[in-house]
Amino acid sequence: MREERIPMPSAPGAAFSERYVEADGFRIRYMEAGQGAPLVHLHGAGGLRLTPGHDLLSRRFRVVAFEMPGFGQSPENNGTRSMPELASTMAQAIKNLGLDTFNLMGTSFGGKTALWLALQAPERVLALVLEAPAAIRQEGAESPSGSPEEIVRRLYAHPERLGAIPMPDPAIRAKTQPLVQRLRGPDRDADLESRLPSLGAPTLVLFGTLDSVIAPAMGRVYKDLMPGCHLVFVYDAGHGISTDRPEAFAEVVVDFLERHEAFVISRTETVIHP
Amino acid sequence: MKVSFFETARYCAPQALPSEWPVPSGAYDRDAGARAYGSMIERLEYVEELGFDWVSVSEHHYSPRILTPAPIVSASYIAARLRKIKIALLGPIVPQSNPVRVAEELAMLDTLAQGRLVVGLLRGTTNEYLTYDLNPAEARERTDEGMELILRAWTEPQPFGWQGRHFQYRTVSIWPRPQQQPHPPTYALGTSRESCEFAARNHLGCGVSYGSFEAVGKATRYYREQCARHGWQPAPEQIIYRANMLLAETDEDAQALLREQPNQRPFSMRPGVSDALMKLDSRNIAGEARAPIVSGALPTTFIGSPDTVVEQVRRCRDVVGAGVLDLSLHPPGSGDLEPLMRALELFGKKVLPRIRDI
Repeated sequence: MREERIPMPSAPGAAFSERYVEADGFRIRYMEAGQGAPLVHLHGAGGLRLTPGHDLLSRRFRVVAFEMPGFGQSPENNGTRSMPELASTMAQAIKNLGLDTFNLMGTSFGGKTALWLALQAPERVLALVLEAPAAIRQEGAESPSGSPEEIVRRLYAHPERLGAIPMPDPAIRAKTQPLVQRLRGPDRDADLESRLPSLGAPTLVLFGTLDSVIAPAMGRVYKDLMPGCHLVFVYDAGHGISTDRPEAFAEVVVDFLERHEAFVISRTETVIHP
Repeated sequence: MKVSFFETARYCAPQALPSEWPVPSGAYDRDAGARAYGSMIERLEYVEELGFDWVSVSEHHYSPRILTPAPIVSASYIAARLRKIKIALLGPIVPQSNPVRVAEELAMLDTLAQGRLVVGLLRGTTNEYLTYDLNPAEARERTDEGMELILRAWTEPQPFGWQGRHFQYRTVSIWPRPQQQPHPPTYALGTSRESCEFAARNHLGCGVSYGSFEAVGKATRYYREQCARHGWQPAPEQIIYRANMLLAETDEDAQALLREQPNQRPFSMRPGVSDALMKLDSRNIAGEARAPIVSGALPTTFIGSPDTVVEQVRRCRDVVGAGVLDLSLHPPGSGDLEPLMRALELFGKKVLPRIRDI
């Protein structure tokens, strides 16, 4: 299918409404837009940042993008001790929104949260999308650091497509770093990896071919461990795939969520003239 | 210095042919075609015996000038008939190919040829955009993406999908994989900034062609700078220079040969088509705009007696940095093969042994 060329709103996420839900004693902010089957999103270590990818997904799904406790404007989170614990809090938050079953998407750090959530509540997760997941990392993988500009260059192959999105805020970063360091776990997490073969949910793992944070070659490990896993490389995208190539990102995510493993069957029409 | 013989499957036309591209298919002579392919092997056996390191083939369409529209077929045929020489497929025109198919065919050929394959990937000459209706404005981007997909298909051990800009596949998992690991020696061919950067980023070789030493030297210098930026240094063998060579016993004889060459553009087209194509086909040398060749024959950068040519090769090494010369010893498209065989012999006996150490 050709990528749809639909003009996107000037500021990504403009159509999203801000709301809050309580879970495990946290007041958790989330952004919501769209109708249809629910698609829950858990963000990366930089916090919740709505992208043109969210806008495109909200045309097909009810997108609920959380700001996990301790990130963004939320108070510092000294309570959550581990990734499984964070996953459990998020599962509770989703339940409190009245969502029993849902599609789950995790980006980078949030990809690991999503995996733990799916392991804890497999009956609730219809399908899993992992955007440049950081659950399995090459040896010595380092998170982006330095000035906001340096971080942006590390995350995106096309920072010019960021548009009006604000630069990473050093103050927020300083607040969330201890939480991220505490929860991210080792590069190879034997406990998590030993559980992945039991995960039956249809899973789509996406890596940008220019990802300089997590080596795209890590994608094959998920594929190797998880029976229902599909690996797709998004050409010319960095770590932030949904910002670098939002149309390509949304097209494959929507197709996968609608058709699961049958998404490998082409629906491209090639008739030029009837 | 390593040397490669550029094999074009010499088609000796029984009657004069129109020079305009595309050449009418109906003017093709079957017997002449059969002779062209038959004599190719005989010639290459001699090339191998003389000590050439590689034989190269390329992809060109709709013309008798270079009679190898499907270079994978000619390369396979050559690989089956010759035992030692490396087969350099320079190269599939990537933007008009299915990159996964290219990866499969080259992996299969590398295996059939017992690891003797060398690969060059390129955008193609301007006229080729008409062959399969390729939009010239998309050619560069399709080339870059296609090359990256070919490399990924060769090396990725798990089935994967490709969400590209111009190519999309949900399932890629090639069999066989290349005999040479991680893949055959591979070159990005072309002088453009994009091509040099792609090669440097992916640790590939770089192949340039036909321009003066100074002109193509700009591209190879840029390539080496980019390699340094990516933290590595290419070996001399990672730079190929394809060129015309006119070799004779004396400088005077060689100059006389040059005067006999038709001053004709390799693939000449109707002016209305040619002009419109040139406007759409932006080309550059290491970022500096250059016009596509619109008139006249491709330059001959090696010309003279064996002594003179040896000195020119030395200069080429200094200025271009090339460690592989891919040579046309006689203009492709010329029907008279006798001078080619004489030039081959002269090159093999009086030049080749003297440029090995350059």
